[in-house]
Amino acid sequence: MSHGKDTDAADFVVVGSGAGGAPAALALAQAGRDVIVLEEGPEVREQDRGQGAAESLLRLFRDNGTQVAMGRSVIPVLQGRCVGGTTVVNGAIVWRLPEDAYERAFGSIGAKDAIPLAALEERMDRIERDLSVAPAPERLLGGNGSLMKRGSEKLGWEGHAIRRNVLDCQGSGRCMEACPTKRKQSMEVTYLPRAVALGARIRADHEVRTIDMSASRAVGVTGVRGDGSPFRVAARLGVILAASAIQSPCILRRSGIGPREHVGSHFRLHPGTAVAGVYRDPVRLWEGATQSYEVDEFRRDGFKMEVVGLPVELAGVRLPGMGDAFQRAIADYPNMAVWGVQVRAEAEGTVSPASGRADLRYTPERADMETMRRGVRRLAEMHFAAGAVRVYPGVHGGPDVLESPDDLGKMDDLPLDPRCWSLISSHVFSTCRMAADERAGVVDFNGAVHGTRGLWVLDASALPTNLGVNPQHTIMALSSLLTERIA
Amino acid sequence: MRLGPDAQRRIAVVLADVFGEPIGVARDIAKFLDGYLQRVPARAALGLRVGVWAVTWLPFALIGVPLPADALSPSARARYIAHWTHSRHYLLREAFYLLKAVALMGWSAHPAVRARLDVGPLAVTRDRAST
Repeated sequence: MSHGKDTDAADFVVVGSGAGGAPAALALAQAGRDVIVLEEGPEVREQDRGQGAAESLLRLFRDNGTQVAMGRSVIPVLQGRCVGGTTVVNGAIVWRLPEDAYERAFGSIGAKDAIPLAALEERMDRIERDLSVAPAPERLLGGNGSLMKRGSEKLGWEGHAIRRNVLDCQGSGRCMEACPTKRKQSMEVTYLPRAVALGARIRADHEVRTIDMSASRAVGVTGVRGDGSPFRVAARLGVILAASAIQSPCILRRSGIGPREHVGSHFRLHPGTAVAGVYRDPVRLWEGATQSYEVDEFRRDGFKMEVVGLPVELAGVRLPGMGDAFQRAIADYPNMAVWGVQVRAEAEGTVSPASGRADLRYTPERADMETMRRGVRRLAEMHFAAGAVRVYPGVHGGPDVLESPDDLGKMDDLPLDPRCWSLISSHVFSTCRMAADERAGVVDFNGAVHGTRGLWVLDASALPTNLGVNPQHTIMALSSLLTERIA
Repeated sequence: MRLGPDAQRRIAVVLADVFGEPIGVARDIAKFLDGYLQRVPARAALGLRVGVWAVTWLPFALIGVPLPADALSPSARARYIAHWTHSRHYLLREAFYLLKAVALMGWSAHPAVRARLDVGPLAVTRDRAST
């Protein structure tokens, strides 16, 4: 990707190149604005793609895949850290913002006039055309997706092939390692090159640390390059923060900008976990789309279920036993289907800057864990409906293995202590949440930081709450809509 | 941060029992741990290194045997590892879980393991990627 001329000023500086930053950069470039995009992570090289889970985590994820939220338990929080952000390493799931989620997010703060659903849908239509969004075809469901389809149909639960931003997917099952064939229409192969073609400049390995302010106006950013050298970029018209719901509040906090009681507060997640089922016939998790099928029967009850094509190393960590017992369990891997549940949790945590990293604090509420327990119970039920011969719930204090549907009742007694669960999240929200005024949040209905000029936050941190669905599409649509107004 | 040869040798004995693999495979996994420690942020590396140390040196505290884990009899080591994996104390369970999670990445990268499971290559080749 061309980096263009190396100057130190632009009309707009966009911080972050993922689902928030890339659409902003493109919209600004299309409006004829001079744009510099600053990305903390590296460019994604050919040799970085499809290199296995370990290398992917080490090369392309924040903190080399070791970022965690600390609370009553430790919850890994996975985020991309590369040009294109998390869109490079996610499962390519594109979920249109449902009306009920829109009401909960934007209706609840009185923002329906400022951010009409129809305006978001118009952007979503465009994004779907741009990113070749379509349901995963039958041939890409793989054994994992086909079994979930069979199980959900048998139970009469609402399910469907996942709508994905992939063009001519090869089914290599490596979405989360940066698509090896570049078929996934993530930001580094779509919106960013388009923005560059219109004159935008992308600078990888540039970590923004603070926003420079003058008389309450954002006039530039300062930071450090990957080699440790400092840099400053001046912004003639403004700065758009789109560094994620973890990095954006840290930059504001380090800069002393925004209402302190809200910047980095209200940190929300979709904590999730997975349940593995073993089948008589081979499933071959590594074939087909990484995430191809989902069941949203219970979305309004607070959880959503989807297949997860985990590689053997990640599937193995949840298996019980050691030595010969581990070998017997892992020998089932080719016949294993892995399905995850993600919960629209009510808990709120905090994000704050620490030395060289972000400090994440988060503990699910009891009600969230009750939802999680219902979710894994449903997953186990669906595995048996699909024909599983045994199911591994993976919860400490619960049964190691379920041998038949008669064992499902044991799931109702699973402990609610999050320390008994292997939770994980890759969806983060609301740390600079939108609100009518600074008594309730950080940004206004245009994404502008209250009490400032020329400074906007256009990523998941601006969302008023968690959505209960995969957020990339909503983040992109919101960023596009608000940037069109800024430009 | 590094995992020295002696520490690698000791933890490999434990990992061989955990994964039911020959000691040669377990030594390669320990070598992977050393490489991993050098690539992750200091805080994460420190946590993992402390975990490796604790798993190696706490048999006396957990099962009352004054030997490092690699010097335990196989049956004592099995009992010792079970203390970690089934501990009522979250920190002990989580420390072992972390070690297992990272070690599994080295385990799954091992050619012998991948061949046995028939899960294909760890990484795509450039030729395949360009199709």
